[in-house]
Amino acid sequence: MSFWEEFIAYLMRGWIMTVELLALSIPLSILLGLALATARVYGNKVVSLIAAGFVALLRGLPLVVTLLIVFFALPRIGLYFDPFWSAVIAFIMCSGAYQSEYVRAAIQSIDVGQSLAAQALGMTKLQEVVHIILPQAFRRALPGISNEIIYLILYSSLAYIIGVQEIFATAKHFNSLQFRPIEIFSTTALIYAFMATVATFFFKKLEERLKIPGLEIV
Amino acid sequence: MEDVESMVEDEIVLKVEDLYKSYNNVIVLKGISFEVRRGETKIICGPSGSGKSTLLRCINLLTKPDKGMIWLEGEELTTRSININKVRQKIGFVFQEFNLFNHLTALRNVSIGLEVVKKMKREEAYKRAMEVLRKVGLEEHAHKYPAELSGGQKQRVAIARALAMNPSIILYDEPTSALDPQLIGEVLEVMKALAREKVTSIVVTHEMGFAQSVGDEMLFMYDGKIIERGPPEEVIHNPKTEIAKKFFERIQELYGREKR
Amino acid sequence: MVSVVDYVPYILEGVLWTLGLVGGGLLIGFIVGLPSAIAQVYGHRFLKIMVEVYAWFFRSVPLLVLLFLFYWGIFPALGFKLDPLTCSILVLGIRSGAYQSQIFRGAITSVGEGQYIAARTLGMSKMRAIYHIVLPQALRISIPGWANEYAIILKDSAICFTLGVMEILTRTRYVVMATLEPLIPYFIAGALFIVLTYSGTKILNTIYDKLKIPGLIWRM
Repeated sequence: MSFWEEFIAYLMRGWIMTVELLALSIPLSILLGLALATARVYGNKVVSLIAAGFVALLRGLPLVVTLLIVFFALPRIGLYFDPFWSAVIAFIMCSGAYQSEYVRAAIQSIDVGQSLAAQALGMTKLQEVVHIILPQAFRRALPGISNEIIYLILYSSLAYIIGVQEIFATAKHFNSLQFRPIEIFSTTALIYAFMATVATFFFKKLEERLKIPGLEIV
Repeated sequence: MEDVESMVEDEIVLKVEDLYKSYNNVIVLKGISFEVRRGETKIICGPSGSGKSTLLRCINLLTKPDKGMIWLEGEELTTRSININKVRQKIGFVFQEFNLFNHLTALRNVSIGLEVVKKMKREEAYKRAMEVLRKVGLEEHAHKYPAELSGGQKQRVAIARALAMNPSIILYDEPTSALDPQLIGEVLEVMKALAREKVTSIVVTHEMGFAQSVGDEMLFMYDGKIIERGPPEEVIHNPKTEIAKKFFERIQELYGREKR
Repeated sequence: MVSVVDYVPYILEGVLWTLGLVGGGLLIGFIVGLPSAIAQVYGHRFLKIMVEVYAWFFRSVPLLVLLFLFYWGIFPALGFKLDPLTCSILVLGIRSGAYQSQIFRGAITSVGEGQYIAARTLGMSKMRAIYHIVLPQALRISIPGWANEYAIILKDSAICFTLGVMEILTRTRYVVMATLEPLIPYFIAGALFIVLTYSGTKILNTIYDKLKIPGLIWRM
């Protein structure tokens, strides 16, 4: 097999693992972001404080450190996850915390009349949040959320540190066999750039599709 | 008036008794009492700050009164054990600023309460919503979003949204005050039609033409109290108090003589 | 047995290295990012496209990949044998420049064309108008974005442990290997980063408040 054939085969294997990591982390991080923001705005004092503390903590820690703590330190207090799930958990927590800031700001920017109208119809707080507030807040937060997800795509490479055989790990391994770093790492770089660009494009389209006709959001 | 017996009489839809409300030590409502009979259109007017909006918001419990009682169809709303959301299903509310749900089409604005609160099936809710939209003359705009509608159309959707829930009473909180003058007429037409169909309602408004054509009784509020009440023509043309007289003169200056 | 007291000073020494990475990275990022932003707003089309491609590439590739690409590939191929610290600072800096160019471009745009045109009608040259009128305003507007960039680059600097730069995380990992006890060292490292993140952001925001022009509100 030629260098390139073998390299592509390596990368494909890693790429599939990267996609698996992201396929789990992205949707769950969005859910966590919505949940944290909702807890902060609508939760009682205790819930709101816990959510705020969680967000502040995760935003203050480098993702690498979160990752290492989840994988190496948590087993010491009886929580063991394999590398793949450790990575997924760290990604969800980190990205969810960042995303929640955008969602929170969006919730708070929604006109109080929306809430009054929902109440006047007889909606419970939960119905109001799910049907009236979050659909609007999500749209407003979407540019921020998509930014965070693009970061997540790039930072998913850090999973290699705890031994997940994602695309960077396979590239690095292949480099240790062949030692052609320029070809190997620049190809890897372009694959990530491709994924990030596709994601950017996808989110632009999504924003357009979800845009409410006639409504200018400032 | 104290005995609950009279409440059971099915004629009375809403009864408010000795209602008090204050915000940061300012007393906004100082003992309001009145009742609304089925099919009646009650007009409330008075200068700004007199407590009209607060009164409406107390009735559907968007704000909690400090003292006094409210009954809706014989059920006391001012007890602790009341299920607020159940009560609000029976009280339609139309806001000055429309407050349509920005992310939903006109049709969905009307159907969402049916779907989410009344747990109606979606097709059924859409059917009902469409019927009501037809009633307010907006059938062809059903699939537009609020931001694509004019102010008058928005307010008609808001009326449809309240009406669709089949409420015992509809509260209108200055429904035409946020509208451009040329859009007021279409909203008043819809409200008049509903009043003639004997939809029970309380309307806070400065539209004297409307008040005289469909109002059954007018309450004039000043400084948290009802200081005049009677048939709208009476109150408007022969007010007993100097305050009400001044107010109606001023209204005439502002809105002119045009009848709506 | 090694006790906490024995290794804490060792980890703490890593703060200096971390701050070196951050300071160096931010500085290089500024040196690269500001001209890039100016080029993007006022430059010729060719220059604009160049900057666009540069910003796109460095914002679309993981830092981890960039570090390995430059450390093992590009710098050696260009004939530079750089130590991990220098290489890391350069990569952090060039990458930060891509992000900073976005911050500065946003700020320059929000100062508004009117200011620039007013300066030109006074007879100022293009460069003078930018230097004397646009930049003093744009740089002030940039501070919150810059504070954010500080927090980002601080957390990213931890990734440089993969090249063995003796910053906080590398030292923490050595301690973990030596003591076989991961819990406390990682918590110490985490605490250090949290303190550095929030205190640094706080300082930058205080500076911003001091430099605000009275009565003027900018919108980004």
